[in-house]
Amino acid sequence: MNEVVLEIDGKEVRAVEGMTILEAARSAAIDIPSLCYHRALTPYGGCRLCTVEICNEGRSRMVTSCVYPVAEGLVVKTRSDAVVRDRKMLIELMLAQAPGARVIQDLAAEYGVSETRFEVEDPENLCILCGLCARVCEERVGASAINFVGRGVKRRVETPFQLTSDVDFDVCLACGSCASVCPTGAIKLEDITAKKPVPLSSEFEMGLGTRAPVYIPFPQAVPKVAALDRNRCLHFATGQCAICQEFCEPGAIDFSQEDEIVELEVGAVIVASGFDLFDVSGLTEYGYGKIENVITAMEFERLTAASGPTMGELRRPSDGRVPGNVAFIQCVGSRDINNKAYCSAVCCMHATKEAILASEHHPGTKSTIFYMDMRAVGKRYQEYVERAKTEYDVTYIRGRPGEVAMDRETGNPIVWYTDTATGETKMCETELVVLCQALSPSNGVAELADLLDIRLDADGFVSTPEKPFRPVDTTRHGIFACGCAHGPRDIPDSVIQASAAAARAAEVLTDS
Amino acid sequence: MGQDQIDHILDRYVGQDGALIQLLLDLQQELNWVPKEAVQRITERLQIPLSQVYRVASFYNSISLELRGRHTISVCLGTACQVRNGPRVMDRITEVLGINPGETTADMRFTLERVNCLGCCALGPVMVVDGQYHGRVLPAKAEEILQGYD
Amino acid sequence: MSGVKSRADLEKLRRAILSGRDFAKPCISVCAGTGCLALGCKKVIAALRDEVQKQGLEGRVEVKETGCPGFCEKGTVVVVYPQGICYLKVTPDDAAEVVSQTVNAGKAIDHLLYTDPVSGQKAIHEHEIPFYQKQMRFLLGNNSRIDPKNIDDYIALGGYDALAKALFQMSPEGVIEEVRRSGLRGRGGGGFPAARKWQTVRDAKDGPKYVVVNCDEGDPGAFMDRALMEGNPHSVLEGLAIAAYALGAHEGFIYVRAEYPLAVENAAVAIQQAENYGLLGDNILGSGFGFRVKIQRGAGAFVSGESSALMTAIEGRVGEPRPKYVHTSERGVWGRPTCLNNVETLANVPIIINRGADWYAEIGTEGSKGTKIFSLVGKVNNTGLVEVPMGISLRDIVFGIGGGIPGGKEFKAVQTGGPSGGCIPERLLDSGVDFDELGSLGSMMGSGGMIVMDEDTCMVDTARYFLDFLADESCGKCTPCREGIRQMLSILNGICEGRGKDGDIELLQELSVAIRETSLCALGATAPNPVLTTIQYFRDEYEAHIRDRRCPAHVCRELISYYIDPARCQACLICLKNCPAEAISGGKDRIHVIDQSRCTRCGNCLDLCPTRFAAVRKMSGQPVPPSLPEEDRLLVRSEE
Repeated sequence: MNEVVLEIDGKEVRAVEGMTILEAARSAAIDIPSLCYHRALTPYGGCRLCTVEICNEGRSRMVTSCVYPVAEGLVVKTRSDAVVRDRKMLIELMLAQAPGARVIQDLAAEYGVSETRFEVEDPENLCILCGLCARVCEERVGASAINFVGRGVKRRVETPFQLTSDVDFDVCLACGSCASVCPTGAIKLEDITAKKPVPLSSEFEMGLGTRAPVYIPFPQAVPKVAALDRNRCLHFATGQCAICQEFCEPGAIDFSQEDEIVELEVGAVIVASGFDLFDVSGLTEYGYGKIENVITAMEFERLTAASGPTMGELRRPSDGRVPGNVAFIQCVGSRDINNKAYCSAVCCMHATKEAILASEHHPGTKSTIFYMDMRAVGKRYQEYVERAKTEYDVTYIRGRPGEVAMDRETGNPIVWYTDTATGETKMCETELVVLCQALSPSNGVAELADLLDIRLDADGFVSTPEKPFRPVDTTRHGIFACGCAHGPRDIPDSVIQASAAAARAAEVLTDS
Repeated sequence: MGQDQIDHILDRYVGQDGALIQLLLDLQQELNWVPKEAVQRITERLQIPLSQVYRVASFYNSISLELRGRHTISVCLGTACQVRNGPRVMDRITEVLGINPGETTADMRFTLERVNCLGCCALGPVMVVDGQYHGRVLPAKAEEILQGYD
Repeated sequence: MSGVKSRADLEKLRRAILSGRDFAKPCISVCAGTGCLALGCKKVIAALRDEVQKQGLEGRVEVKETGCPGFCEKGTVVVVYPQGICYLKVTPDDAAEVVSQTVNAGKAIDHLLYTDPVSGQKAIHEHEIPFYQKQMRFLLGNNSRIDPKNIDDYIALGGYDALAKALFQMSPEGVIEEVRRSGLRGRGGGGFPAARKWQTVRDAKDGPKYVVVNCDEGDPGAFMDRALMEGNPHSVLEGLAIAAYALGAHEGFIYVRAEYPLAVENAAVAIQQAENYGLLGDNILGSGFGFRVKIQRGAGAFVSGESSALMTAIEGRVGEPRPKYVHTSERGVWGRPTCLNNVETLANVPIIINRGADWYAEIGTEGSKGTKIFSLVGKVNNTGLVEVPMGISLRDIVFGIGGGIPGGKEFKAVQTGGPSGGCIPERLLDSGVDFDELGSLGSMMGSGGMIVMDEDTCMVDTARYFLDFLADESCGKCTPCREGIRQMLSILNGICEGRGKDGDIELLQELSVAIRETSLCALGATAPNPVLTTIQYFRDEYEAHIRDRRCPAHVCRELISYYIDPARCQACLICLKNCPAEAISGGKDRIHVIDQSRCTRCGNCLDLCPTRFAAVRKMSGQPVPPSLPEEDRLLVRSEE
């Protein structure tokens, strides 16, 4: 591809043959406004906002930069007097066409167009006939569910025969691409199809947020590489789209990838399969799944994470308000003969941390922790708990709540508990209940154990029977387990064990 | 008019590139409109997305997606006919029939259309009914001509 | 019919046809173009055939249905050969006389001859009729002699000789050179040099190449291409084939608008007959050059007549214009190099090849060579198609050929160039018709529509009319055209309906600049022209509408009133009985009075009031005089 050098607004811009002026300008960070242009669609040249003045051999003329190809030595002015004058008139016309469209109002403000002198036929209209919706549906989605209809001043975007759904015409996938490319918000999916779009729930966000079919699970993911959800990807559904592949500069996207089976001969295996969370919806007395403002600790973590679905604002599910007080219930599923008999080791500390976090994000928010025993056994852990009590106004009540009810009007959960200090049975109305759920063995660890021919213990964790002297050895020589794979433990302990397992593996390898 | 009649017309064009407009014109000619069933059939047999067939059909004046009356009246309002009082002829017809250009009478007798030049400019105002041309039409004469159609 | 396989064969065929014809044999040529069809020529033809049979002349007299000779005002036009006697306004009732008097007895029938409106002098032959005298009819002249459905007529007159000459005596480059030297410019409106377009397509590296004839003729008021395609389709086919040879195309399209069914029919017949004779097909005249033509029908969209839109329509897609930066001469139909020419442009080509570029370049002006067909219509006495040398003045056309304004009315303006053009006032009538000169006046030649307007035409209403047309015909893709025209129309509607305000004219002018500069295609870019030229030359009318709420031409409904002059009304009851709004009161001897609150200004009363009374008149810009009190409305007739 040949390089082409042109001049835009007095600045030298290097472009590639075949590019348009708009592409060249944007690559040089020169802003040319446009409404009907989209990188992933063939240029349309309809809105005419991207009009620029080009000068060639002493003559100048107006062209639309989204379509006009670059040429060596081309001189372009993106904001000459004539261009600005014409642009202002176009904006004034669009203001009359779609007065309520925010993007037009913003353009009007930018260009000093304070009002439109033209007749407003339909003050509610938002459509500026940029065609992005129809074009994305045809070119990328491959459904062609909507298209332009009619001609001239009667031109509009509609479904054929204005039908929203009909057994024969149901081509709309309810993917929402049209609505997402529409610059003015004119597209309403319910005018096109009776199907409801199903948002893709983000697993990492505990279902509180959404993700795209192509996604990086979370910012700190290792490896930090995007994954493509084959089940929700348009390309796999219709054979079209593939925009991601087109725009991936290193060319990393390969739709034909399949699982690879690799055979490795190794001398040692370390099982570090971690844990999964206990499903608390079975504990109906706590109302999870029925009472909106009863959430799990992991959901709480997402709500208070700066990169989470609410950007770190603790907003309760029912009404989005920040709660003035929060109740934490410990040992949900843990130390429970009906569920998990063991202690999950980490919940007392993370509840304390979360209570402090709630107060730091929203000063004035008070927390109450309902506990059985405070397991603050690490270095300076007990001091941390004391700080919570004294500096962050966290109240610790020894007592295992028996039930969580709800005030129908406010949506506030009501915690029923027995305060073992006083022996009284009391009720505590709170605005948000956080269930500190038990840690369970990782899903799939049973199959893994079978494969590796190692045993699990009674709780389903990997068995390391020779502790305390060989704390990371499993029942099979050469296979080691660390971290929560063989039982609940916190981060420092998991890291220590990881070193231990590595050392044991090295030992075994040098032996042979 | 059934599937057969539509298929018979489509047979002429299956496999040809770029035949959509000619096909729609044939349908219009033979059926007096292009019904929904025909649009669907085009999609099925020519593999053109439905919304694209509909778009093309809705773009052109000669193709009608609505059922037309038994007789089609085209009143020319090209510049020459305009200057020679063509609008008065149109006004008279809209008064007499009670419909506007683009509409069909309730009894399906007439569909009224405005045409932007039929090429008989020297003889304006011009009116065509069912392919029959009438030149130098005065409003009263127009009314008289229409009475001859049932 | 065995194919004509060489140039010699063609010559033999021609001689065979000619020898089979008896030039002394009477031939009654009746115009069967769409115009005369509208005037009932079919009945005239049937009556003539009947008479021929009745008078026992079957087989000895031919009745030929021909193309349009152009004098549409006086249709149905009949020319009787061999004398060449020209009869006008022929009706079926005249059939008997025509056959017995003229055909049999050789006598001219007075009442069917052209009569000069001033001197009363009669004209027998076409060339004696003033309408034709100033014309130079190279393109249309043969129409009366050709039955478009019979290729032999065309061959008899020398048809396809130019194609033979090009194929056997000239190289493709030679053909282009000849056309270049002739100075032929496109006749569709753009005026682009034809040879330059052909050269660009010839030089394009990609293939295959296509040639396209644009017979969409969407300009309202223009019907030149219709007359050529209906009346002499072979002249266009021959030109097309020569063009194809010149630039190396083997496939061609004729795009005919839906509103011209007869042109579609005649073109199809012509193609078939040419193929039968080997004048089209895989090996034309044995030259080795192959060329096939297909007809594509338009479906009723003015914008699809724009060249890039037309090519998109040929592809079966919505006929919207494409951005201009990719030239259709390099990427046209199916992305291949395509040459699109207007019907009239191509019809000129055989003439140029036959008679030579030098001869052709003698006709016309420095910048505009050859003849141009104009459709002279509107408020003019002699409406029809006129073919004149470029450079002739507008005055000569309107008054010399057109015979001036009917009804003794004052000329006001002549509109050229269709919706892309402008209105030219009386003081500029001495300008010559020339691509560049008309452009300098703010108008353009356009495809050839020339609409004459008189004092009864409102120029503001005219501008509004064009915008209304374009609002419907615009494809609607780009903002400046769609929204700009919508808003210009809204302002003009306001002005015509009495809601105009100060500043409207300036707003129209300001809006026009953006529309001109940013529209995607020429439809949008030239849309402001009718508005701008009418403002330029008839600003006083705009100001009357806006400031005085007055329409000087008495056209704009909301600004006019109808008034019955009590001094002239003879209470004949005609207007009263025919008023659709029942707004007229009066009686047998009672003066008729219009109730202004009920009047819809339909104009019926004005039409129907007997001319000897002429009691109804239109007023504008002033209140209607108060009606006579009831008791004074009794009509007293004077004694005879």
